[in-house]
Amino acid sequence: MRNLLGHSSRRFKAAITFPLIGVALFLISNRVDELRVYQGANVAVYVVAIISIILLTGYSGQISLGHGALMAVGAYAAVLSQVYWHLPVILTFVVAVLAAAGFGAILGTAAGRLTGPYLAGTTLALAVGLPSLANQFGFLGGEQGLNYDVGLPPAWLGADFTQYKWFFWISALAALIVTWISFNLLGSHYGRNWRALRSNPTAAALMGIHVGRSKVLAFTVSSGLAGLAGALLAMTISLVTPSAFPTSLSFSIVTGAVLAGVTLLTGSIVGAVVLVAIPEITGALAAHLGGSEKVTSNLPGLLTSVLLIVAVLLFPNGPQAIMKRTRKSSQ
Amino acid sequence: MFGQRRSKRNIFALATLAAGALAVTALPAQAFNVHTTDGVTPTTIKLGITIPLTGSAAPGYNKIPSAMIAYFNYVNDNGGVNGRKIQLVVKDDAYLPTLAVAKTNELILKDKVFAVIGALGTANHIAVSKSVNLGRRGVPDLFLNTGFSGFSDAKKYPSTFSLFPSYVMEAKIMGQYLKDKFPGKKLGLIYQADDFGTDALAGFKQAGTNFAVKVSYASGSQSAQTAAGWVSKLKTAGAEVVVMFGVTTASGAALATSAALGYKAQWILGSVGGDATTLKAVGVPAVVLTGAIGASFLPAPTDTSDPYVAFFQGINTKYNGGAVFDNNVLVGMNTAMMTVQALRAAGANPTQKGLIAAIESKGSTFASAGLAPLNYAKGVHVGYNGYWFGSYNSSGELKPIGGDYSVYTTDSGAGAIVKSTYVRPALPANGLPTN
Repeated sequence: MRNLLGHSSRRFKAAITFPLIGVALFLISNRVDELRVYQGANVAVYVVAIISIILLTGYSGQISLGHGALMAVGAYAAVLSQVYWHLPVILTFVVAVLAAAGFGAILGTAAGRLTGPYLAGTTLALAVGLPSLANQFGFLGGEQGLNYDVGLPPAWLGADFTQYKWFFWISALAALIVTWISFNLLGSHYGRNWRALRSNPTAAALMGIHVGRSKVLAFTVSSGLAGLAGALLAMTISLVTPSAFPTSLSFSIVTGAVLAGVTLLTGSIVGAVVLVAIPEITGALAAHLGGSEKVTSNLPGLLTSVLLIVAVLLFPNGPQAIMKRTRKSSQ
Repeated sequence: MFGQRRSKRNIFALATLAAGALAVTALPAQAFNVHTTDGVTPTTIKLGITIPLTGSAAPGYNKIPSAMIAYFNYVNDNGGVNGRKIQLVVKDDAYLPTLAVAKTNELILKDKVFAVIGALGTANHIAVSKSVNLGRRGVPDLFLNTGFSGFSDAKKYPSTFSLFPSYVMEAKIMGQYLKDKFPGKKLGLIYQADDFGTDALAGFKQAGTNFAVKVSYASGSQSAQTAAGWVSKLKTAGAEVVVMFGVTTASGAALATSAALGYKAQWILGSVGGDATTLKAVGVPAVVLTGAIGASFLPAPTDTSDPYVAFFQGINTKYNGGAVFDNNVLVGMNTAMMTVQALRAAGANPTQKGLIAAIESKGSTFASAGLAPLNYAKGVHVGYNGYWFGSYNSSGELKPIGGDYSVYTTDSGAGAIVKSTYVRPALPANGLPTN
C-alpha cells in the first residue's frame, strides 16, 4: 500500500509533467510539416480510443470488439447536437462523452453477465451492425453522412495557422486530459477495484468489491472515452458517416491496445503511432514491390491483423513489458 | 503498478521526452517551410486524383484514371506541356469519405501535387472540401466527376471547377422531356437519399414534374433484395414511365430485378447510372436495357463518326491497352484533354493561382468532346450545362433520338430550358491542344 505522501507526490509530479508535455507538443506542432501535424491529430484520436480499451480490458478484464460502434455513437451524438441543437463545439464533445457513456452503461449492464468469447461476440455484433443503422434513418444522413464543423482556427492564431494544426491542438489537448484523468482514476480505489476484479472476480467479491457495479462502471467510463475518440475522429474528417466506423476500426484499436501493453497508459502512444504508421509502411512497401493501388489499399488490414497475432503470441503484455523484463534481468 | 521507484522512472522518461521535443523545436523553422510552387519542376507537373478503384462503386469508375494517364502519356510523348511531362498520382478512396480525406491529404501534403483532378463522389468531395479545405489552401480542384450543384458555388469552393452539368440541370431537362414525350403517363422516380437525390428533386420541382410514386434508397443499400422493394412500390402505384436517378449499381439492380419480376415500364436512366458497359458488367442482360432512354452531355462512346470519339479510341488502343471504350474512358480522356489546355493556359511558369485564373478567363473556349457549352467565367465555375436524350439499342449503344444530338441547356436555378445552338470547337490537330 502506498503511503499518503507517495500518493500526493505522484499527483504533484503528474501536475507538472502533463502541462510540460502539452507545451512540448505545442512547440513541436509549430515546427513539423503539415502531414505530420495531421498524423499527430490522428495519433491523439487513437490515444484516446486505446486508453478506453486499456481501462476496460487491461484493468477491469472485460473484452470489447465493439468500441468502433461506441465511437460511432459518440460521433453521431456530437454531430447531431451540432446540426439539430446548434450547440457550441466544446459542448458537442461533452454530448459525445455523455451519449456514449449512457449507451455503454446499458451495454455494460448486459455485458456484466457475459464473459470471454460471449462478450467478444456480443460487442462484435454491435460493431458490425450499429454504424449501418445510419442508413435506415434519414435524419442520420445515410451513407453520405452529416457534416461536422468545428470551425476555422481563431483569427488571433494567425493566417498561417492551418486547419490541421487546429485539429491537432484540439485532439492533443483532449488526449492529454484523458490520459491525466485515467492516470488519476487508475490510481484511485476504482482502479484498484478493477485490477482486483481482473485478477480474480471471486476473490474481489470476497474483499467486498461489488463485482457487477464495478464492471458496469468500467464499461461506462470506457464507452464515454470511446465516444470522445469518435467525435474527435469525426472532427478530423469534418464528417460523420457509417463508413468512418468500419468493423476493422474496432480491431485496430484493440490491436493498438495490445501493442500498447494492455495495462500501460503510457503505452497508448506507442499503439497509436503504430496504427497511424501502418498505412505509411504498407504504402512504402507496395511502392517498393511495385504492387498496384488495389493491393495497397488492402495491405493495412493485413498488417494490422498480423501485428495483433504476433503481439499476442510474442509479447502479450506489450513491447514495453519486454523491455522492462530485459532491463530487470540485466540488473 | 506505479510504485515509488517506477513512477520516478516514468517521470524521468517523460521529462526526457519533453526535453527532446524542446530540442527539436530549437531547429530553425525555415527548414520546414521552404515554399515553392507545389508539384511543378522544370521538367514535370504532378497532378493527383482520388477515385474508387476497389469497393462497391469501383466498377466503371476505376477505368477513369488509366484513361487519363493514357492521354497524358500521349501528350508527354509529344513534348508535354511547355516542356513539362504530366504525372498523375492515383489514390484509391474505395468511395469512402474517410479514405477520400486521408488520400487527398497524402496527395497535397506528401506528394505535393500541383492540382487535384477529377475527384469523384458527392459525399466524398464535400468531406474533402471541408476537411482538407482545398479552397483555403488555394489548391486547384478541377473537373469533378460529380454533378452536385453545390460545387459550382465559387464563393464556397473558390478553387473548385465543376465539369458535369449539375443534377439539377439534368432533372430539369429530363422533366421537360417527360412533359413533351409522355404526357398523361403515370410517372415513377427512384433516387438516392442524399445531396445527389436532393439536387434531382429540386430540378424536377423546377420543371413541374409530378411523380405518382417516388422511391428513395440510401446510398450503399442497393441490392437485388432492396430493388425488389422498389419494384413492388412502382408496380402498386402503376408507374408506366420510371426515372432512375441513381448510381450504376442501383440502376443495374432496378433493371435486372424488374425484368425478373416481370414488371414492364419505360425506363429513363440518369447519366450517372446509365453507362451500358458497366450495366452489363454488373449483370444486366442487354435485352433488358434495350429501349430504355438515357441522357448524356458527351457523344455516345460508340459513335465513331464523332471526331473526338474516334481520336480517343485511337489513344485507347495505343496507350490504354485497348480497354473496352465506354463512357468512363471517354470522360477520363476528355478531362485529361481539358487539363492539358488549362495547364497551357496557365503559362510557361504555372502557379496554382494562375491556373485558376486561366480557367476562369479561357476555360469556356477549351476544346472538348462535350456537346454542351462550357460556362467558365470570372467567379463562375459551372462546366457543361446541357443534355441530349438517346435510346439504347440491342447492343447497348445509346443512339440519339431523332438521329442527331439535340442538346438542351439550362441552369441550376429557375432559368429556362432552351435548345442549344452551341457548336463545340473542332478537335485540335492530332488531338494536341495548341491554345
